[in-house]
Amino acid sequence: MLKLVRIEFTKLRRKKLLWLMLLSAFIMPFFAFLYFCYFGETGIEPVAFYKWSAFGFTMFIILPFVLGMLCTILMYNEQRFDMLKQLWIVPVSRLGYFFSKFFVVLIYSVCFMLITAIASVLFSVLPGYVVFEWDSIFFLLKKCLEIALFTAFAMLPVLAIAAVQKSYIMSVCVTLIYAFAGFFMTPINMYIHPLSCVSVIIARNGDIPGLTLPQTVHIPMALLCIFLWSFAATLFAMVILSRRK
Amino acid sequence: MNDFVIEAKQLTKIYGKQKAVNCVNLHVRKGRVYGLLGRNGAGKTTIMKLILGLTSVTSGKVAVFGQNIRGREKRVFPRIGAIIETPGFYPNLTGTENLEIFAKLRGTAAPGAVKNALEIVGLPCKDKKLFGKYSLGMKQRLGIANAILHDPELLILDEPTNGLDPIGIAEVRDFIKRLSSEQGKTILISSHILSEIALLADDIGIIDCGVLLEESSMNELKKRNSKYILLQVSDVPKTSLILEREFHTKDYSVQDEHTLRIYDTSLNMGEINKFLVMQNITVTSSGLCNDTLEDYFKKITGGEGIA
Repeated sequence: MLKLVRIEFTKLRRKKLLWLMLLSAFIMPFFAFLYFCYFGETGIEPVAFYKWSAFGFTMFIILPFVLGMLCTILMYNEQRFDMLKQLWIVPVSRLGYFFSKFFVVLIYSVCFMLITAIASVLFSVLPGYVVFEWDSIFFLLKKCLEIALFTAFAMLPVLAIAAVQKSYIMSVCVTLIYAFAGFFMTPINMYIHPLSCVSVIIARNGDIPGLTLPQTVHIPMALLCIFLWSFAATLFAMVILSRRK
Repeated sequence: MNDFVIEAKQLTKIYGKQKAVNCVNLHVRKGRVYGLLGRNGAGKTTIMKLILGLTSVTSGKVAVFGQNIRGREKRVFPRIGAIIETPGFYPNLTGTENLEIFAKLRGTAAPGAVKNALEIVGLPCKDKKLFGKYSLGMKQRLGIANAILHDPELLILDEPTNGLDPIGIAEVRDFIKRLSSEQGKTILISSHILSEIALLADDIGIIDCGVLLEESSMNELKKRNSKYILLQVSDVPKTSLILEREFHTKDYSVQDEHTLRIYDTSLNMGEINKFLVMQNITVTSSGLCNDTLEDYFKKITGGEGIA
């Protein structure tokens, strides 16, 4: 598997879009900086800043959208340039193929959230809005890694759908719908959409002020939802890939 | 135990209502070049896909190295190198980088395997040109390099000279010949270009509308299709005797009770006629026939010729 993951990274050489997408990790930390700059507040609670920079739109919209784009990029070339038959002849197992791409998504997700965490610290501590504290930084890192890990799993359905699509536009549309559906489903029912379940897991201790959940927090239920969607996505991808020859 | 590297029995593939491959019995012998000849859409690529497990078999079976192919057999596939249709590679990588990916996937341990494969097909190693900017011919060469990268025992090449210039075609042809004669590789090659198959193949299979119409060795086919003197005489046994005793040839065949084919065209037709007449044998007709492989192809496919 490690070999397959390395090869997946080799395939992404010279893809400038991947680096540009990483830059979007700075969007919300920068807006948080502008927001607090506008109100001229200093000495604010670190979590209040991080809620804006990392636990808000980054978690609900930006990260899922970026990961969805990555899923499309990972699948698109092989579909478009009819490469799958060459890989099957090697032979590469379909499960290995699918999960090697998932691990790329996971690693990218971790990198993205680490950049978000670093940017959050830089934009909050350097201007003096937040006092530097190791505890709050560890809290931010822990939450960012949790978001990265669970969101990557929650994006498995998009990766599976990307295996079906031969067009960039359709995949991007599906990603947008999926990300926004997760955002809008959260107030209605948190245990249907995997991305809603991610927010349940992240806000489970009620330690992120302002991130209130409409239902009772039930972590096993959230994990079960993510697992079921991931399992169904993997099965779907296996069926689709066995037809793609 | 037979020496067939590929053996297909009653192989059938149906797409919807269309029979793409119909009860094909194919036999590729070890160390031989087998040419699968047919028009576009005849079913050549489908047969190759069935052999490689790239599409499911509707009925019948296919065995490679004696093992039935059901899915993607892990023990068999590393022994095969293949190029099916136009080879696809990653456009954002160079040719060398693309081959390195496949070398890693296959676990090709031989150092310099990539460089060697590129040299064989005449592509530069460590070139900075991206695959996306390759010409069709270069893409085809890279596809061939990928097929031979891991030194496979069996090569399955689907129209490998597509898009190559005449010099490139000749180079690839020589290279395939060398692989077979010097390294004893078994090669299954498909083409719709008759001359290409005629120059390369040891054995030939002619396919049309999914049906394998003919399967024989090239020598056998050439014998059937080469020049011959066609004689129609009143007494075939007596004529045979005369040919053997007076003209010292046994290179003829009896077609029916009045017809003979003499394959030794160095014989003087006039003298044969004169001699036969002198022996009271009536010669109804005599003439030099010149059947080509294309004539034969037309005859058995019952239609237009092939380039």
